[in-house]
Amino acid sequence: MNRTVLIVGAAIAIALLAVLFLGLGKDPTAIETPLIGKPAPQFALKAVNGSETIDIARLRGKPVVVNFWATWCVPCYQEHPVLVENAPAMPNVQFVGVVFNDSADKINAFLRQNGSSYPTVLDEQGKTAIEYGVGGVPETFFINPKGVIVAKYVGPMTPDILQANVAKAMVQ
Amino acid sequence: MIALLLAVALGVPQGQPLSGSALDQRTQEVASLLRCPVCQGMSVADSPSTVAQDMKHQVRDMLGKGYTQEQILAFFEQSYGQFVLEKPRNPWVWVLPIVILIIGAIVVVTTAKKLTRDPGPGTRDVVTDPYVEQVRKLVNHD
Amino acid sequence: MTATLGRFLILASVFVSAAGAMVAFAAGKSQSLDGLKMARRFAYAFAALMAIATGVMEYALLTHDFSVGYVAQVGSRSVPTWVTIVSLWSSLEGSILFWGLVMGLYIAGATWLTRGQYVDYMPFAIGTWLSCAAFFAFLIPGPANPFVSVPNPPLDGNGPNPLLQNHYLMVIHPPFLYLGYVGMTIPFGFACAALLRGRLGHAFLKPLRASLMLPWIFLTIAIMLGGWWAYEVLGWGGYWAWDPVENASLLPWLTATAALHSAVVMERRGVLKGWTVTLVQASFLLTILGTFMTRSGVFNSVHSFTQSSIGPTILVFLAAVLLYSIVLLALRVDSLESEGRIDSPVSREGMFLVNNLIFVLLTFTVLIGTVFPLVVEAFRGKQMSVGRPYFDSMVVPVGTALLFLIGVGPALPWGRTTKQQALRSLLQPLASGLVVATIGFVLGARNPWTLVTLLFGGYAAWVTIVEMSRGGAKVMKRGRRRVGAYIVHAGAVIVLVAIAVSSTMKTQTEAQLTRGQSATIGAYTVTFLGTEERNEPNRQATIARFAVTSNGKPVTTMEPRMNQYPQMREPIGTPDVHSTITRDLYLSIMNIDPSTQSVSVMMLITPMVSWIWIAVMIMGLGGVVALVPYRKRVVNEAPLTDVAAEVA
Repeated sequence: MNRTVLIVGAAIAIALLAVLFLGLGKDPTAIETPLIGKPAPQFALKAVNGSETIDIARLRGKPVVVNFWATWCVPCYQEHPVLVENAPAMPNVQFVGVVFNDSADKINAFLRQNGSSYPTVLDEQGKTAIEYGVGGVPETFFINPKGVIVAKYVGPMTPDILQANVAKAMVQ
Repeated sequence: MIALLLAVALGVPQGQPLSGSALDQRTQEVASLLRCPVCQGMSVADSPSTVAQDMKHQVRDMLGKGYTQEQILAFFEQSYGQFVLEKPRNPWVWVLPIVILIIGAIVVVTTAKKLTRDPGPGTRDVVTDPYVEQVRKLVNHD
Repeated sequence: MTATLGRFLILASVFVSAAGAMVAFAAGKSQSLDGLKMARRFAYAFAALMAIATGVMEYALLTHDFSVGYVAQVGSRSVPTWVTIVSLWSSLEGSILFWGLVMGLYIAGATWLTRGQYVDYMPFAIGTWLSCAAFFAFLIPGPANPFVSVPNPPLDGNGPNPLLQNHYLMVIHPPFLYLGYVGMTIPFGFACAALLRGRLGHAFLKPLRASLMLPWIFLTIAIMLGGWWAYEVLGWGGYWAWDPVENASLLPWLTATAALHSAVVMERRGVLKGWTVTLVQASFLLTILGTFMTRSGVFNSVHSFTQSSIGPTILVFLAAVLLYSIVLLALRVDSLESEGRIDSPVSREGMFLVNNLIFVLLTFTVLIGTVFPLVVEAFRGKQMSVGRPYFDSMVVPVGTALLFLIGVGPALPWGRTTKQQALRSLLQPLASGLVVATIGFVLGARNPWTLVTLLFGGYAAWVTIVEMSRGGAKVMKRGRRRVGAYIVHAGAVIVLVAIAVSSTMKTQTEAQLTRGQSATIGAYTVTFLGTEERNEPNRQATIARFAVTSNGKPVTTMEPRMNQYPQMREPIGTPDVHSTITRDLYLSIMNIDPSTQSVSVMMLITPMVSWIWIAVMIMGLGGVVALVPYRKRVVNEAPLTDVAAEVA
């Protein structure tokens, strides 16, 4: 019995198998955000259907839901009604839609057709999206009244997920 | 406005602003150190996806304003996490292969010494037979 | 009906391989010749069943029989016939069936070629092979069944993954890869047989080496085809990104190459037997690891279309063969007695040890880099990346050292030499190295690493040519193995130099053009002629047409394109490449807008990149030359070699 072989072989084998086993079941494409618990990156962008500027710094004091989307994105189209309908039902929560890699005309046409109950801004060249670590659309951030990001949801919004995450943002 | 926000986020640019072909080249270089967050395993320099193109623009902008590579990488790491860095920060991944090289070199030297000394069990003592030695010389030089 | 027939055949093959494995191991234990004969029949039966099952599947694909699950998944009436044929390996279930077929053919071939010989080893070898076969055959009706019956067969299917329809290289890359990967099972069986038998005799080296060489040839070419495909299809202008699946194909190649080299020392001097056996086992184990990496969904990869739920099953098999290999090795490696010694560490034998060090170091480095993010996530819960910059920094110096060794190793004589002799052998080729480096400098190479590579390359080329031509004309009859090896070396030198030149001396630029506008890159002027939309049966293409001229003379038209497949949301870009022997011009679309007739195009000039594909094929050719067996009468002509080797 060659002890060296046994020990070295067993060590490599166990380490390798353990690592691979632990990797199973994890989705390597789901990237966690480092921004949870950090102050929300600042932005001040012009609203698409008007001339007001939405400055997130001025929204302190109430919870804020920031939803990144685009007109060419199918799941965004699917989640849009959820947001539009629920926003008025939560009057002390500020909703903001941020669109990037898109054009003001297309956005306005989309909103005319599908409704709008909260401000939507255009992020030219996606700079704000980058600051928020957005990889794709839709992605939604939940910010508490102190301006700290408490949650991020990747994918089309549903009423339950919306309620749950807004609740998180309400807790001081 | 954006510049102000960047400055708030990052501090003052610590290098010289770039332009022209130097800017192009450095954009390529820094972009290749950033990982595209949506594509499977491509760098921002190589990926045609819209997110990557936006990020590349951002890199270009920042280089143009004089931010250094370290500042730019730190900026993206803030938003996307360590995942976005193509070159790992963790020292272990750099050190381990060197450790293996050292261990391997020691093994090779000890094995070479052992093999030179050790005739091994169960061999006939061929080195004393001149005919076989001659044959072996012939064979080994073919 | 077809699906049922297929399922029956697969089930039968599971039983046949499992039963055959048991018969074989029993025959080995009792050293029964009759048992061995029976085991061989089981081996042939397994191969036959796999062949028929594959035939049934191809028939179902070609007749568009959508009642068979796999055909419903990847079949389509609107794809060209060649796509239908190769869709056998386009998706998991079909490719595992294909794996079973290749395994069956290899096992049958190895069983046939060793008939009547090595009777004390063969039962163990066949037992090992059929055990592995049983696992793969089990995978088919289990988690990956292509023969599922579809209750309401659709009228048409979606066709195979669009990435596979983009390029002809997709036809040959998977089969070559499988022939390489699966082939490693055979030497693994021989290695385990030697361990089980407790002896690795000189005669048994022949099947061990030959069975390692054949899959090595396929794997070498398969890796190159993968890189070439990435280059021609993915659009970023490079051919190797250190993607986990690319690394998966490289790892067994590294250990197999190391094994081929240590086997030379093993044959000449009778030493390093245990080590060679370990490397052979590692090569097989790494193919199983590679399969896991490609198909488990654990790794973030460009290859991710092959993800599936088969991961846990493969992991179990990997654990099983790891256990088998390590236990066998620990128990028996000491009984593979060393019959000899080497004369001096500063000799060609010693250089083989350095060779092995380099290859094993490369294997560990690539493995660590690939697996590291998983480790960190398991321990710290944080996600991190180990990307191309890491691998390039680590591998490039080692690769350069390897090139150095390809020159210095064969320059040193075998056995003991005097310091004077050694020095003379080492200094002679230096002139050639300096000449090549100077030529490179004159042609524009300025990067110090490139110049060093050219120096080593020239040196190695000289040594290789000198060694290859030792022995004159008779060498093709008697010294084929040696000549073949040096042909491989020649190819390898060209590959390493071409990689250095193509990486450091490329020119890259991006241009935004509207119709009629031009941009220049290097000696070429590229004019955008406009966009064109083309409707093909399985996809819609938006093509950007470019006219390329050089010094005013027309060179070619190029048509990089964006392909929109019906079932994918984003279009897939395909670059266009104009290859000449000295350089490639590479155009890839970043953005295209037919309504404004504008395009954003990435342009790249890469020197010497075609030499990489050609040189790897030379390596494969060298392997074939080395593998062609000596005819029987040649043995009589050169008895001294065999006798002396026995005695040494």
